[in-house]
Amino acid sequence: MCSEADETRWPPFKWRGLALLKPPVNSHSDASSRRSATSRKLINLLGPFLGLLLVISLFSLSPSVRPYFLTGANFKIILTQTVIVGVGTLGMTIIIISGGIDLSVGSVVALTSVVGATALVKGCSAWVAGSLAIGVGAAIGLINGLIIGGLRMMPFIVTLGMMGVARGTAKWLSGNQTVSSPESPLNNIMELKEPMRLLPLPLGVWVALALAVAMSIVLRNTVFGRYIFAIGSNEAAAKLCGIRVQFQKGIIYTVAGIFFGLAGLMQLSRLTQGDPTVAIGLELDVIAAVVIGGASLSGGTGTILGSMIGALTMAVLRNGSNQMGWPTYMQEIIIGIVIMIAVGVDKLRQGGLRGRNG
Amino acid sequence: MPAFLLRIVLTSLFLVVFCDGHSTEQSFTIAVIPKGTTHEFWKSINAGAVKAQQELTAGGTKIDLIWKGPLREDDRDQQIQVVENFMTRRVSAIVLAPLDSKALVRPVHTAVQAKVPVVIMDSDLKSDEYVSFVATDNYKGGQLAGEDMGKLLGGKGNVILLRYQVGSASTEAREAGFLDALKAKYPDIKVISSDQHAGATRELAYQASQNVLNRYGREANGVFCPCEPPTIAMTKALRDLGLAGGKVKMIGFDAGSQSVTDMKNGDVQALVVQNPLLMGYLGVITAVKYLKGEKVEKRIDTGVVLVTPENMNQPEIKELLYPPLDKYLK
Repeated sequence: MCSEADETRWPPFKWRGLALLKPPVNSHSDASSRRSATSRKLINLLGPFLGLLLVISLFSLSPSVRPYFLTGANFKIILTQTVIVGVGTLGMTIIIISGGIDLSVGSVVALTSVVGATALVKGCSAWVAGSLAIGVGAAIGLINGLIIGGLRMMPFIVTLGMMGVARGTAKWLSGNQTVSSPESPLNNIMELKEPMRLLPLPLGVWVALALAVAMSIVLRNTVFGRYIFAIGSNEAAAKLCGIRVQFQKGIIYTVAGIFFGLAGLMQLSRLTQGDPTVAIGLELDVIAAVVIGGASLSGGTGTILGSMIGALTMAVLRNGSNQMGWPTYMQEIIIGIVIMIAVGVDKLRQGGLRGRNG
Repeated sequence: MPAFLLRIVLTSLFLVVFCDGHSTEQSFTIAVIPKGTTHEFWKSINAGAVKAQQELTAGGTKIDLIWKGPLREDDRDQQIQVVENFMTRRVSAIVLAPLDSKALVRPVHTAVQAKVPVVIMDSDLKSDEYVSFVATDNYKGGQLAGEDMGKLLGGKGNVILLRYQVGSASTEAREAGFLDALKAKYPDIKVISSDQHAGATRELAYQASQNVLNRYGREANGVFCPCEPPTIAMTKALRDLGLAGGKVKMIGFDAGSQSVTDMKNGDVQALVVQNPLLMGYLGVITAVKYLKGEKVEKRIDTGVVLVTPENMNQPEIKELLYPPLDKYLK
């Protein structure tokens, strides 16, 4: 792919990193613009990884924490703690790419965890209870999508309303109490077995990983995936191209709802109870993860990989600051700053490249 | 410059060797995980833990104390994460006040599997894998409140119970003790409201108090609240309505400084007071004892006292009401 001629025009390979930051202004040849496109893609792909590595190395600096922090056992825990936010992130990523937002995630997680636990208490099998929980998530997503698509209302407002509706329903359904779920296979999805080793990972981690791979493929290689990007980039243009935008929005929110329902199921498994007050503010964690992962809240960009890395970064931050013994308020401040830096860097990167390369 | 660097390296090496040579005594890292960090109750627990650390260190056992509450208070999932993170941090032992008697069972199980012993304090856990349970006899505390309420009301009248939060074992035991004591000894006292929960923060508790009083305030003769936030909030709500000062007898739990002031002013008739300082202290001491291989009791009672305006100036009560926090927390 790289010809000799290119090598002379561009700095040698080891300087390429620098060159990316300052691409030659008047390079209009086909090859170099293709090159800069791939390099931009590379940066976008690597960006979130850099943040994650930075955070990991930050905690590895402390000699008193490193021997415990950089262990398989610890990463097993971090991965397990990422699952709920991670699965939620899968749904949120497609919503944000399509230019929308969903504030009802935390409430839906609470509601579906209560639904699952209640079904188990009523004697349903694990499969039925699980499907019910995911079904309720999907139904709420469908309602959101219908209102947003059908009535053309702002996603922010619709899902803000749904946040209250779902939370209230969860409390109503559970009689304002936590619902203890009886012994069932559902309780073991998130169980940490053999806490001193990396493997075996809890089933939930594998499920999240498999779904992430599946969603990546859907986003890249299916018509539905490309529609999502089209709608997020320019809704009017997408409509002119013949995409049934409002119909697609309904599907997007429903698919996302399935993921939120699944996250609720994971929450149920983790607490071994349905808790109507759990996951308050989870939506903000999920949105932050997507944004750290390089998606833009104005729609049109974002990757599943980035969002998952974003979710992982936040879990590592939390895990590390616990182990460093940092007080809780420091942790909150640091996570806040990391979000701002991540978004700021992203903005700079895109703005810089776009400004110079048109 | 290299010489300078060399000197630093040598000095630090020397220090390492020096320290190693003298650390023949034992050293433990103890993580103390409260339910939250903002209430005064938890500050007293923190002070008690520091007191234990100071005493043990003076006695030749070096203790590293990590004090860490869940990121969001009353979020069970967050507390589970804290427990898990300390488990992989390989602390010597965990002293935990579980936010929920069931949700924390599995993390504790996992920690014990990873050979990190766990001492439970303040609130019970539905498990038998912990080393010891260091807490107030909460049921007894509730009974004390119930008996005093009966006396204050002369055996008849209407009372309100404003509960704390769903799933919190310690306050549920107090509520049960209160109701049982009334039922057993003062059958003529009617409980007109006992199904409202205050919630975790003072603001939520204040709203709940206002709502309950709006409905039942005119008929009520007495109110019991099972911990610090609802006690303070309910007293405030009673004051707003002009019902404080003894018109409605107010019995609270825990010695928050606001509650103590309210009692001095006559707005609170009695407070059931625990000894959080002792709880934090014994939590850490028990964990260290266990680590050293000594035998520990499975249940350690840290005591509970009924404080009234009459006895609040006795020295031993005074120490409970004004725990010497400054001595330990800087």
